[in-house]
Amino acid sequence: MKLTTRNAEIIVAIILALCSIALMVKSAQNRIDWTVEDNMGAGFMPFWLSVGMLICTIITIFKWFTKRSPQSTDEKPFIDPEANKYVYVTVLSLVGLILGTAYVGIYISLIFFLFFYLKYFSEKSNLFITIFSLATPVITFCFFEWLLKITLPQGISEPLFYPIYDLMY
Amino acid sequence: METFLLLMNGIGTALVPLNLGLLIFGCLIGLFVGAMPGLGSVNGVAILIPITFIVPPTAAIIFLAAVYYGAMYGGAISSIMLGIPGASTAVATVFDGRPLAQKGDAITGLTAAAVGSFVGGTVSVILFTLFAPPLAKVALAFNAPETFALMVMAFATFVGLGGDDIPKTCFSILIGLVLSTIGLDLISGQPRLIFFGIPGFLHGVNFLVLAIGIYGIGEMLWTLESTKGAVQISSIKFTFKDIIQGFRNLKDTVMAMTIGSFLGFFVGILPAAGATPAALMSYGITKQLSKNSKDFGTGVPAGVVAPECANNSASTGSMLPMLTLGIPGSPTTAILLGGMILWGLTPGPLLFTQQPEFVWGLIGSLYIANFFTLILNVALIPAFIMVLRIPFAILAPVIFVLCVTGGYAPTQSIHDVWLMLLFGVVGYVLRKLDYPVAPAVLSIVLGPLAEKAMRQSLIISDGSFNIFFDFSIKPIAATIMYIALVFLFLPLISVMKNKLFPKKT
Repeated sequence: MKLTTRNAEIIVAIILALCSIALMVKSAQNRIDWTVEDNMGAGFMPFWLSVGMLICTIITIFKWFTKRSPQSTDEKPFIDPEANKYVYVTVLSLVGLILGTAYVGIYISLIFFLFFYLKYFSEKSNLFITIFSLATPVITFCFFEWLLKITLPQGISEPLFYPIYDLMY
Repeated sequence: METFLLLMNGIGTALVPLNLGLLIFGCLIGLFVGAMPGLGSVNGVAILIPITFIVPPTAAIIFLAAVYYGAMYGGAISSIMLGIPGASTAVATVFDGRPLAQKGDAITGLTAAAVGSFVGGTVSVILFTLFAPPLAKVALAFNAPETFALMVMAFATFVGLGGDDIPKTCFSILIGLVLSTIGLDLISGQPRLIFFGIPGFLHGVNFLVLAIGIYGIGEMLWTLESTKGAVQISSIKFTFKDIIQGFRNLKDTVMAMTIGSFLGFFVGILPAAGATPAALMSYGITKQLSKNSKDFGTGVPAGVVAPECANNSASTGSMLPMLTLGIPGSPTTAILLGGMILWGLTPGPLLFTQQPEFVWGLIGSLYIANFFTLILNVALIPAFIMVLRIPFAILAPVIFVLCVTGGYAPTQSIHDVWLMLLFGVVGYVLRKLDYPVAPAVLSIVLGPLAEKAMRQSLIISDGSFNIFFDFSIKPIAATIMYIALVFLFLPLISVMKNKLFPKKT
């Protein structure tokens, strides 16, 4: 199936409806009733708000079938085919950055992320890209760790920073 | 007359070379900290408190108040230039500030933010000077029912923030509210909506994580798709004449300034409310009352002025209960309060009589800080504009780095960074399908406040909703509630009127 805006509208509406049902089920793990003696259960608010979400998505689905919304009649591609790679590569590289942050630490991940991203999308020289990729984590470290005393995740690379901390404190 | 003399003494204290130097330095640091996504005045003030032990208490509070003020101004810079809210207080500034920059009119956006902040700050300091003690009593009269009524009024203004598709707008509001319920239940303490048993959900969904995800990552994905990564964010030319034109473009923003300044100050003095709800409410109400309400969200100066006026006004307002009652009105003032205790001062009504130099020095410094921050902001516009001249292929990864560090910094949890990416991608998809995302962001801010106030009120009233509507029980709550209902039904009446009596073209 070609992913047109019309198709995307119904797919997203169905996913959101399923999410609403899942939220209702999850909320029902807490008490969802409300009595004067016991007050509102912890699940009361999220449950009924999720019911509202479900109703909204059902109306959106109904509007799709009756072609009453602009998106339900739009047969253009959902994402511009020429811009596909920008969106997908960006999302995947961000996933890589966050995964890397969790395991090898943010400073090492930043070097790889910036190098890859700039090499892929910019037309700058290798020298510029290398300097930029190395300088950004250094500036980030100085700002957060030295100036603000906020420790960013370092993962398995943490021991590498001990000598720098010894110098700082 | 006595107040005037005390104020003059206070301004004199603020102009002592040490105090003035600290004030300007504080404003600069605040601007920088406020402009960094994920960091706000709280971080700036908390980090700098130890430095203040080497100077007298008056100089210390002047310095920290200047940091607080500068951060309020600074939050707007990244909102306008990058589309990422520098702080939670600047989220509403993105709605119109970012489109202004995209249209190539960032100068008007930055000027509107600077002037709005200045006006809001000045009006609030004047209100503070004249009415501090009686207003503190009003703040004390605000309990759970009144707070809930105020939140309902804020939600009522959201109706105007949505798009044409009402079910999608309602969905956006509701999903924001559901996200705000994740974590520990405020009343029973039970965990709720802890998906897959992930402990990161126990502390709830941080509002900034959603805002940075939607307006940082989502916005960048949108821009990357529309520009194919090839062009800059907008074409920018910059001359002195453009700044003058930027000031001229603000001539139609008097209403926004008035609403932002007064509403911001009032919401600011209420304990537990603060500058973020003030800015959001101010934006919503200004939009609803504006003749050009349909243009809001496309880049109108009033959409920048209203929240910027309100957040600066609220930041001054939140100092009022701190000084007069010893009750902090915002997280930043809670830290300032701690600082005052460490400096050996006792906040409360007696502070005005026992430490007049301290109190009036602070008030005087707020006037001076406002003036200097305006000058600094306008003078630094060329530097801010330089950001837009950076090629997009270089700017985009830098923004992503800011998003990741900004998403991590508030709670220091990698779980929040993952959530931010998820919100960014989902926000991008929903925005493409015309789901308005602003109401979700607003709901997640006000959701916890509203739920807590409503449930506390219903416990007080044994489950009776009369506590919100009966003038004989809670007159302030009832008044606000009925005003909120008017705000809620105004757009619906307008829609019905247009359908029943369509305008002839």
